[in-house]
Amino acid sequence: MRVALIRLAILGALVLAWELLARAANPLLYVPPSVVVPALGRLLVLDSYPELPQSLLLTLREIVIAYALAIAAGLGCGFVLGLNRLVGRAYGPILAALYAVPAVVWYPSLMLFFGLDAASKIAFGFLLGFFPITLAVLAGVRQVNPHMVLVARAFGARPAVVFAKVMVPAMLFTLVGGLRTGLALSVIGVIVGEILGSKGGMGALINHAYGLFRTADYVALVLVTLALVVASDVVASLVERRAQRWSD
Amino acid sequence: MSDLIAVERVGKRYLTGSGPIEALRDVSLTVGAGEFCTLIGPSGCGKSTLLGMLGGLVVPDGGRVVVDGRAVTGPDPRRVATVFQEAGLFPWRTALENIEFGLELQGVPRAQRRVVATELLGPLGLREFGAKYPRELSGGMRQRVAIGRALAIDTQIILMDEPFGALDEQTRLLMGEWLLDIWRRTRKTVVFVTHSLHEALALSTRVVVMTARPGRIKSVLELPMAYPRAMESADLIALRAKLWSDIRDESLRAMGDA
Repeated sequence: MRVALIRLAILGALVLAWELLARAANPLLYVPPSVVVPALGRLLVLDSYPELPQSLLLTLREIVIAYALAIAAGLGCGFVLGLNRLVGRAYGPILAALYAVPAVVWYPSLMLFFGLDAASKIAFGFLLGFFPITLAVLAGVRQVNPHMVLVARAFGARPAVVFAKVMVPAMLFTLVGGLRTGLALSVIGVIVGEILGSKGGMGALINHAYGLFRTADYVALVLVTLALVVASDVVASLVERRAQRWSD
Repeated sequence: MSDLIAVERVGKRYLTGSGPIEALRDVSLTVGAGEFCTLIGPSGCGKSTLLGMLGGLVVPDGGRVVVDGRAVTGPDPRRVATVFQEAGLFPWRTALENIEFGLELQGVPRAQRRVVATELLGPLGLREFGAKYPRELSGGMRQRVAIGRALAIDTQIILMDEPFGALDEQTRLLMGEWLLDIWRRTRKTVVFVTHSLHEALALSTRVVVMTARPGRIKSVLELPMAYPRAMESADLIALRAKLWSDIRDESLRAMGDA
């Protein structure tokens, strides 16, 4: 309760400081909250950008597809590499090195391959989401206590059963953590991709507002995008908490 | 007693970084139905390897193991259940769900396996603990859950690889008494690996002493005494002296080797 009050006070102070500083400086560049709130209202009643729903849907669709692909490829790759000790040992460092490269350097070539439409955003969201999922699977496979696998075999478990009843539950927490990180990065990939160059989606609207110096609209669009990101992360964290309660 | 288990001239080498290690050489052994047969010997003498062969988890390089008339080619949970030194419970399963694991793998319906597991809680001394997770149980309780998991699949043979090795001495003594009680009631065939002379003498109908590596059978002691045994009786003290002198020789050899 007290924490919530303090948090509220901090937020209030920040908003107030923002308002005062923005007014003191150039209100066109440093949009004060008193201007953002009406702009957000105009945005939400589809006055300033009537294409908001389609844009949101497009971005959401790109995220869902990018994330689904990242999950499929990340789980597949992670398990193939993780379960084949030799191949995994060979590939692990390469994967980690690729992960360390700032992924945005790949984006220009993705635009060349996939064009300016949704495909390049999906590709970028996929690329960003894929690595943390793969690496989480690799780490999770290493976490599985070999003794538990031996016990399961002694009780007659075949490899597929060992996988389903021992490996997956044993690594679930790590796995879900990786899936959560992957979701956050897929979202970032899609939105960054849209901002770097696109004809649709939230990123395109943001670019438009920003390019025309409609800074209040720009901030309002950013807030809506932020809400989308936070909502996806809240869902992911609920799933994660569930997994945590279920595993150890 | 007919021979339920027959080990016929098995051997095993392991390849390690520093060259091959011969764990077992030319071991033959039979165990009759209803026996409590204990394998004892210095560390690294291949007791666990031999037990692994009985359970189908270790493939012998030569020779074969026959259980109930059939050559062992892999784990056979319809005939053989294993308890390991490390309980190896699944932390995401409650005690009951851990006990049910083997039945679940055999496709026993949920309701039925729940009945079997619940009935076991009493004799396991876990009546209040069925819904607890392994991390909420003491070491002795966890090992009893592991034993329950082996008992649940109701095999004729139970293999135990130092099941009480990780417990403190008092818990260990109590668990020994408890196991003896279970064994006498179920009349299962137990093959038991231990380092403890006390456990071997208090529990076994037969003790097999193994040599230092490569493991072979050094001597076999028959223990016809009734249970529960008076450990201070003259014949047990004499057997203890004989057992210790055999094991001592081999342990010294193992230490000289190391």
